[in-house]
Amino acid sequence: MQKEEIVNRLTPVFRKVFSDNSLVVTDELSALDVENWDSLSHMLLISEVETEFAIKFKLKDLNKMANVGDMIEIIRSKFQ
Amino acid sequence: MVFTSFNFLVFFPTVLVVYFLLPQKFRWIFLLAASYYFYINIKPVYAVLLAAVTLTTYIFTNLIAKTKSDGKRRAYMVTSVILTLLPLFFFKYFNFVNEGIYSLLNLVGLHLQLPHISMLLPVGISFYTFMALGYTIDVYNEEIDAEKNIGVVALFLSFFPVVMSGPIERAGNMFHQFKGKLEFSAEKVVQGLQLMLWGYFMKLALADRLSIYIDAVFKNADQHVGSSLLLATLMQPIRVYGDLGGYSLIAIGCARVMGINVIPNFNRPFFATTMSEFWRRWHISLIKWLTDYVYTPLSFGFRKYGMWGIVISLNLTFIISGAWHGAAFNFLVWGFIQGVALSVEMLTRKSKDAFEARFNLAKKWWYMLFGCAFTYLLFALSLSFGGDAATVPEVLKILGRIVTDPIQMPYKDGDTMLYGFLAFAIVFIKDFMEEFYPGRVLLFNNKNNTVRWLAYYCVLFLIFYLGIFSGEQFVYFQF
Repeated sequence: MQKEEIVNRLTPVFRKVFSDNSLVVTDELSALDVENWDSLSHMLLISEVETEFAIKFKLKDLNKMANVGDMIEIIRSKFQ
Repeated sequence: MVFTSFNFLVFFPTVLVVYFLLPQKFRWIFLLAASYYFYINIKPVYAVLLAAVTLTTYIFTNLIAKTKSDGKRRAYMVTSVILTLLPLFFFKYFNFVNEGIYSLLNLVGLHLQLPHISMLLPVGISFYTFMALGYTIDVYNEEIDAEKNIGVVALFLSFFPVVMSGPIERAGNMFHQFKGKLEFSAEKVVQGLQLMLWGYFMKLALADRLSIYIDAVFKNADQHVGSSLLLATLMQPIRVYGDLGGYSLIAIGCARVMGINVIPNFNRPFFATTMSEFWRRWHISLIKWLTDYVYTPLSFGFRKYGMWGIVISLNLTFIISGAWHGAAFNFLVWGFIQGVALSVEMLTRKSKDAFEARFNLAKKWWYMLFGCAFTYLLFALSLSFGGDAATVPEVLKILGRIVTDPIQMPYKDGDTMLYGFLAFAIVFIKDFMEEFYPGRVLLFNNKNNTVRWLAYYCVLFLIFYLGIFSGEQFVYFQF
């Protein structure tokens, strides 16, 4: 799956979970940049991303997600 | 050996002198020896337990690192976790579980005598056990390499500033420091001593002063009127902040003097406007530990249930936190209150955000003040269940009397109230300035020597003037 497609599909998920229609998904975006992105909403995000892409993350994957760029790479790896 | 004891006042400077006189490569070995001396000084036999947990952690982390098969790695991790938890369970929860079984058997008419352990909980066991577990799980998750040198692992788990009451450190933060250059830095020595000075003020002048009033009221709750019980209940969070917050600063300061950075434990908690913010500011090292090793795996497991999965995970995490604080039902209730409060906040977050945006409330001072006061009151209420001696019926009786007793003048202890209030006002003003006007008023960090030294002398004078020197233990030693 191409990175662009992943970003396009991630954007509405992020906007829905964090209730922010102006949110722009970039590689560098992390919990520090988004209000309400804490350990509680993070798991909702994970669950929504899994549904959107019909994939399953491993607990280990979560520890490697320091920012959205890491998340995109992990999603890509699931389709390889 | 307690930070506020005379022994420590001799021990720490002696350790410092030898530590900095030794060549750098021997410093960590000396720290290990000093840490074990420090711990053995409390009760020698308990050092055996610490050594056993260290050995278990060392062996299994290296086995995990060497093994390729996922199943075997997992088996090693689970075995290590169980073995590490055994001493904690034995000393802390054996009687609690036994009493539970005894009560259940009693209910069905069986009157059996079950064994009871009457040994003191080894100091710091809850803290070093969590540190060992965290390290083992990090190795299993491949977030950190297994340490080959058992001495470094031993120092991590016994490091004397944090061994008794935290902050609950992470191997990832400590190993590289112990193995790196432990250099003398005048800047770090000054920073460390400043933290220690403020920590002693919080402990001796604030926590121990308020303890006099709180203990006088709660140890004879039946003899006190509702207003006294209310006052003591409201003082509790400040007392614990002074006690554990003060202890943490002394611990962090001790380590800093030796050139070692330890993670912070408090961040002006009483300026939190919600419970979730409060828990990002209070006992940070414990909450981060619970988030990483309990909440995240739980919520990951329950994620298909959406919001409710998070609610379940939150409540379970805080009930475990309650159990960690003490083996009694009242601590479970304490944890449950936190879990429920956080769940309600999470479930109502969107509507609250919309309400605040609609009336532009988020930056209004009176709205923030209301949030701070509400959060404080909720925490104070929950903390009634967090006392070591209180049972749930006793706490409910106290809370009932606060509400139903006619309004009367509370129990007066002039000196304690005056000095306690003075100490609290000083801590509050410092925190307030740092929260809302950072860098505006510099005392400890003022470039002017006279102002800086005057500030040191003032705090030192206030410690002697307002402080209590009766050798009070730190509250968190019991955990």
